[in-house]
Amino acid sequence: MARWRPAALLVVALAAVLSAARRADALSVTVTDTECIHEFVPYEGDTVSGNFVVVDHDIFWSSDHPGIDLTVTSPGGNTVHTLKGKSGDKFEFKAPRGGMYKFCFHNPYGAPETVSFYIHVGHIPNEHNLAKDEHLDPINVKIAELKEALESVTSEQKYLKAREARHRHTNESTRKRVMFYTMAEYIAFMAASALQVLYIRRLFSKNVGYNRV
Amino acid sequence: MAARRLGSPASRWLRPSALLFLVASALLSAPLPARALRFDLESGHTKCVSDEIKVNAMAVGKYHIVGPDPNFPDAQLPESHRISLRVTSPYGNSMHYAENVQSGHFAFTAAEAGDYLACFWAPDHKPPVTMGFEFDWRSGVSAKDYPSVAKKGKVDMMELELKKLEETIRNIHEEMFYLREREEEMQDLNRRTNSRMAWLGFLSLGICLSVAGLQLWHLKTFFERKKLL
Repeated sequence: MARWRPAALLVVALAAVLSAARRADALSVTVTDTECIHEFVPYEGDTVSGNFVVVDHDIFWSSDHPGIDLTVTSPGGNTVHTLKGKSGDKFEFKAPRGGMYKFCFHNPYGAPETVSFYIHVGHIPNEHNLAKDEHLDPINVKIAELKEALESVTSEQKYLKAREARHRHTNESTRKRVMFYTMAEYIAFMAASALQVLYIRRLFSKNVGYNRV
Repeated sequence: MAARRLGSPASRWLRPSALLFLVASALLSAPLPARALRFDLESGHTKCVSDEIKVNAMAVGKYHIVGPDPNFPDAQLPESHRISLRVTSPYGNSMHYAENVQSGHFAFTAAEAGDYLACFWAPDHKPPVTMGFEFDWRSGVSAKDYPSVAKKGKVDMMELELKKLEETIRNIHEEMFYLREREEEMQDLNRRTNSRMAWLGFLSLGICLSVAGLQLWHLKTFFERKKLL
């Protein structure tokens, strides 16, 4: 390997360290049966955190909504994290090894559900890395920790935003249904009353014979 | 990395804005670590991903086909593995369309706020194969490409990192305002629903009593006409 100047090495080390904490965006997928998303975790010991929220479609009774299952599989094939029957949750775990992790959402019922999810992989350079590379400034560890703290705030915000969207969806659906059912109730009421009157009139009509009553 | 094919309609979107072109070229030229999300796509099926983007936020996306086995990413990719992509805005305008490509990229500034949908589909293969593709879609603050900003301004890496943190904090601040505004709207909606339900309850009682009264009056006059009462 060619001898690099210390400044260039510092730049490369900084770039490698600081870019290791990646940021994704909250994405939505529609899960009909199973949807798997793969995310690359570069180092062992990285904290993988994330959240997902199921945005309801038209659900009439909340007990009908079964939730979806999330299974996180490590590159070795072991299940690292499982969540069953949740309509939205946060998760966090420490990656036991580096590699490609698989996040699978499974919908046990046939109705397609839209899931909004966010996954973040965070890496904080520890003392071992510091000792290996003398150009790595300890302040970079602090900056990485700050960045991770801010990322957790952003992650929480995305979770809250997704839940708020679902809440609003439920509220609007409730409002529409209340209006519809109330109008239907009035119409049914008036129709029942009209039928009552018609029936009583028929009982007393001449061709039936009112002395039967 | 296999040679990228840039002969897609995506280049049409880049020409109007030099900044967009700079960002896209910086994204392509900078040696980025594997940041993308990887999805599986069966031939003949469609997979859609949507993201909510605010107005005037920049969105950049990169996608390329990878080997089907995530543990062997350097396996040879057959030429017949191709995907097509369409990115649509919330109002239905097509922001990007690419057909039967192995990789591509797009960038646009969101003119409308809402859910942008990126749909991938694969042509039918006999026998059906499962293709993997990596898709990196970033919008808002994460779309800003800092290495190019650093190169342009010749700033220190630490300063750049702190600038990124400052931008993140500003974004968090704006997001809190947005959440608060939405929550206020929802509270308003709930209050209106509550008052409307109370009004409808009284109306229901009123209809009940008036219908009963009408019934009684109608039957009374009916029986008086029939000379039964």
